[in-house]
This record gives sequence, C-alpha cells and structure tokens, in this order.
Amino acid sequence: MEKPFILHMLTTAKNLSPFDVNMAMDAGWVSALPYINVEPSEVQGLVQDAIFSRSTKNLKRTGIFIGGRDTKQAMDMLKTAKRSMVPPFEVSVFADPSGAFTTAAGMVAAVEHELITKFNTTLEGKTIIALGGTGPVGQAAAVISAQAGANVRIIGRQLEKAQHVADLCSNEFGDGKITITAGADADKAEYMQTADIVFATGAAGIELLSAELIALAPNLKVAADVNAVPPAGIAGVDAFHNGTPIEGSKSGAVGIGALAIGNVKYQAQNRLLKKMISSEKPVYLHFEHAFEVAREYIKSSQ
Amino acid sequence: MEKRSILHMLDPTPNNSPFDVNMALDAGFDVLMPYSNVKLDSVNRLTQDAIFSRGPSGVKRTGIFIGGRDLALAMDMLDACHQAMVPPFEVSVFADPSGAFTTAAALVACVENELKEKHGKDLQGSQVLVFGGTGPVGIATGIIASLAGAGTILVDHLSVETATDVAKAYNRRFGCTLSGASASTETEKAQLIASADIIFCTAKAGVQVLSATVLKEATQLKVVGDVNAVPPLGIEGIKRNDLGAPLIHAINSKGAVAVGALAVGNVKYQLQHTMLKLMLETDQPLYLDFREAFNKARDIV
Repeated sequence: MEKPFILHMLTTAKNLSPFDVNMAMDAGWVSALPYINVEPSEVQGLVQDAIFSRSTKNLKRTGIFIGGRDTKQAMDMLKTAKRSMVPPFEVSVFADPSGAFTTAAGMVAAVEHELITKFNTTLEGKTIIALGGTGPVGQAAAVISAQAGANVRIIGRQLEKAQHVADLCSNEFGDGKITITAGADADKAEYMQTADIVFATGAAGIELLSAELIALAPNLKVAADVNAVPPAGIAGVDAFHNGTPIEGSKSGAVGIGALAIGNVKYQAQNRLLKKMISSEKPVYLHFEHAFEVAREYIKSSQ
Repeated sequence: MEKRSILHMLDPTPNNSPFDVNMALDAGFDVLMPYSNVKLDSVNRLTQDAIFSRGPSGVKRTGIFIGGRDLALAMDMLDACHQAMVPPFEVSVFADPSGAFTTAAALVACVENELKEKHGKDLQGSQVLVFGGTGPVGIATGIIASLAGAGTILVDHLSVETATDVAKAYNRRFGCTLSGASASTETEKAQLIASADIIFCTAKAGVQVLSATVLKEATQLKVVGDVNAVPPLGIEGIKRNDLGAPLIHAINSKGAVAVGALAVGNVKYQLQHTMLKLMLETDQPLYLDFREAFNKARDIV
C-alpha cells in the first residue's frame, strides 16, 4: 500500500491559518499536522524528526510548510530547514507566511499581465510605489517586482521604518542584487508624479490613495489593491476590478482588485503545494517560485 | 462503512514529534489529532472524551499515543489513561516519550542477542553500565536491563547524586535494582568499565563518551551498544552500522563486539511500527510501554 502524503505545518503563531490547511488538503496532502508556537531554534529538531522516520521513497510523500506572520523569520526558518536536511534524507519545504508570498506573487503577475496586454510593455524599468508597503505582502511584492527590473519605493507612515524594511528587502530577500528605496506617506503626492504602478498593501479598510492623487498622476498605468474590505485602498478600484479603467485617471490607468489578485494567489499556492508532491527532487519554495507559477497560471489561462 | 481509525496524540510539550506523526500514519492510522501542552490532570477527561464518542466498535478503531520528553510523566499519563477507561469503552494506549521506550528496547534487545550469539551468555548476572544514564533513553535502557537480571549502574556525567536519585526513584516504581554513579574524567570512566560486561552509551548525540584509552582498561567487556548516530560517535572505534563487529580498541577484552546506532535504529523503527499496528489489530485494548516494547524487540531481533 502506498504511504499517505503528510504535510508538517510549522507556524510561529498560536494557530495555523485555516486558509493554508484547506489549501494543503485540496492540493492532495492527505494529512496536515500543525506545529504551533514554533521557535526558529526548534526548526532543525522538527525537520530531522520528520526526515529520519520515513524511507527515502516515502520522503517524496512528506513535506514541510512554514507559515507565521513575519517574512524574515519565515525565510530564516526556510534556510534553517534546508540546512537541516541530511541527503538523501530530505523533503520539500514551502514558506508562505500569512499567505503573503503567494498574494504578492498573484498581485505582481496580474499587474504584469495588464502592462503586457493594455500597455504593450513590461515591469522592466517601471517606477512602482508600494503604499502600506512595510507589511509582509508589500515586502514580497517589492522584491518580486524589483527582481523583474522595476524601481520600487516602499511607502510607510514612518520614513525610518520604511527605510529599514526597504534595506531588509534589498539585502536580505534580494541578496543585495536589487535596490529598493523608501518614502514617507506624507510625500506620496510627489511620488505619484513619476509612478507607473501603485500597489496598495496596507491594512484592510483604509484608503491609501485618493481620487485626486489618481487624477493628477501623469504616468499611472496600473493600480493594484489587495484590500477587499470597503473603503477600497485605492479610490475607484473595487474588489471585482480586473484590468478595469479607473474613473478619473487622465493617464488611462486600469485597476486590479482583491478578488482578481486572490484568484491568482489561490492558483499559485495550489500549484506550489502540488509541486512539493510531484517534484522528483526536494524543492525549497518561497516568493520567487510563487511568482513563477503565478505567471504560468496567467499565461495558461489566456 | 468501517469507521476511520483515529489516534489521539497527547503531548505534554508544545508540539508532537514529526517522527511519531510519520510513524503513526505509516502504520495505518487514518487520522491523527495532536493535543499539545497536555497536563497530567487533563488526561482522565481527554481519555473519557475519546472513549465515549464512538461506540464499542468505534473504540477498536481509536487509540491514544503519549509522547513528550519526560519518562516518568509519560508513565503517569499512561496510568491515568488506564484508570480512566470504562470497559467496554476502552482503547489501546502506547507511551513512547522521545521515542525513548522503543529506542531503549531495541538497544537492549540487539545487545542481548550479541551477548547470546558471541559469548553464550544472557543479561542475568551481567554487569551493565549505562552512560548518559539519567536521560530518557538511558533510564529506560537501565530499567529494561535491570528487570532482565543484570546488575545495572546508571552513569551521569556530572553528579553521582543525580544518578542515585534517579536510580532510587525508578527502583521504587518498577521494582528494579538500579544503582547510580558518575564519571566525568578518563580515570573515573576507566575504573568503572574495568569490571563491566556490557556498556550502553545513550549520551548526547555528537559526544564521544569512551575513548580508545579508556576502552583499553576494560577486562571483561563483551558487548557495547551506542545510540549516537552523529559523529563523533559515543564509543571510539564503533561504526554506525555495526551489528556484532569487533570493538577494536577494547584490546584487553577478548571477543568484545559492538552494536552501532543505525543497527539499533533499524530495530527501533520496525518496533515502533509493529506496536502502532498492534494497536489497530488487537481485539483487547493494550497498554504499551517499555516492557511490551522489549518483548516485541526480542521477537524482531
């Protein structure tokens, strides 16, 4: 008899996200077991317990998911997990703290699609401002789009914090190969003068960009908002928008709302969870891989 | 339709061991449920909640596993489960904190087998030392050896008081005859092993406990067993796959042989698998601890 697919789900929080549990089961994992309040220092022990109790053949049917809320912590745990493997005793690991990696990937891939289809261009060389960009989704979206060649500025209410997050994104997640800048929310009118793209990844129910600022932005092409709770994060972009022209935009910008992004996110997370099962060799998955599969999904759905 | 089999995994620590999770699912349990940070005084309620919700046919498809890291607490929880049963509402319970019971049972069974095959002797009357003797695997190893009739000393690397206290506590509980000792220096180790027939090494992974120099002092050593799989291994000259290979540095003990960590691990794996399957197959509810583990380990070896 074939052994069951087992996903060990680690989180630093006091509960798993039921979203991730549903996603894992629906992707084909038969058993999903929670490990909660996990300290980063416990990762090695848990990983080695998981790899040494199954044959190498059945380790292909074993995986580790890393949740939690903190991007850096999740990436560190992913690195620790990888280092803890003792080949051939090795399993696939997927980090997606707060679902932020797949959400960011879904948003950036959807924006890229609008750039290609509506503006006949790409992310390369574009100026992006990430409003409310200091959180997990903003961080991952900034890194993914910077890696695709965009110039990204993370905007926060406190410039100092935004700068700290921007440096973290450039050096830690981008391996120093990208440069993400920072800006204060108070100065966003000025940044809108040169912005091609706006991401709104702030807390739900807070308007980050007004209709006036949209009207005044001369270069704006795409505005994407992950907030599904009214009021919208970007005035004039509702949750159902999917490449819909934004009323009042003089530059002819289009909007992408939370449900369109959510759909791509869902597909990306599903694909990565399945990749862990189908891959011949162990894989270590994070935001970069999420972006790859989000692009694949958009391409395949055309 | 037959009801799905459910294993309730009780753990006094914040999380179950992924090792046990894999083992339980691979043994055929359909559904595992983790219960973390479980306190001894909640075991009665949890057990009764588990037995009263499935009917007499359902309880046969239900089991309780007790993990954690503390051997005494796991045994207390096993007892509490047993007392909470209301026949015919009764399910099987298996305690294996830190995997220590199955590891210790596998270790002693492998060493006992070499003792018989290579030296024609059994544990009864043998002199046994357990290095790392105050940890979970060490204590369980000591109890099993002692109950099999060996004169057994638990050796702590720091404190003779710790070793003696542990020995006394488990003697009272299980009717064994453990004693305690400590050895931190080469000289102390050499003195201890001079008259040992058997040495179990259950100390921390990656720490060499017995060097070639110390092993030279053993004059009647017959079998050593080591559960440390992380180099440097616990006993110098041992190899992880050894199963009755000569212990080269014990030059003054004719015919001394070694059992390495992977050989023990192989039996432990089969043993834990067998015991989990037994919970699913048995008609009568079973209460499984290191004693039953040792019986089964002997069968496997």
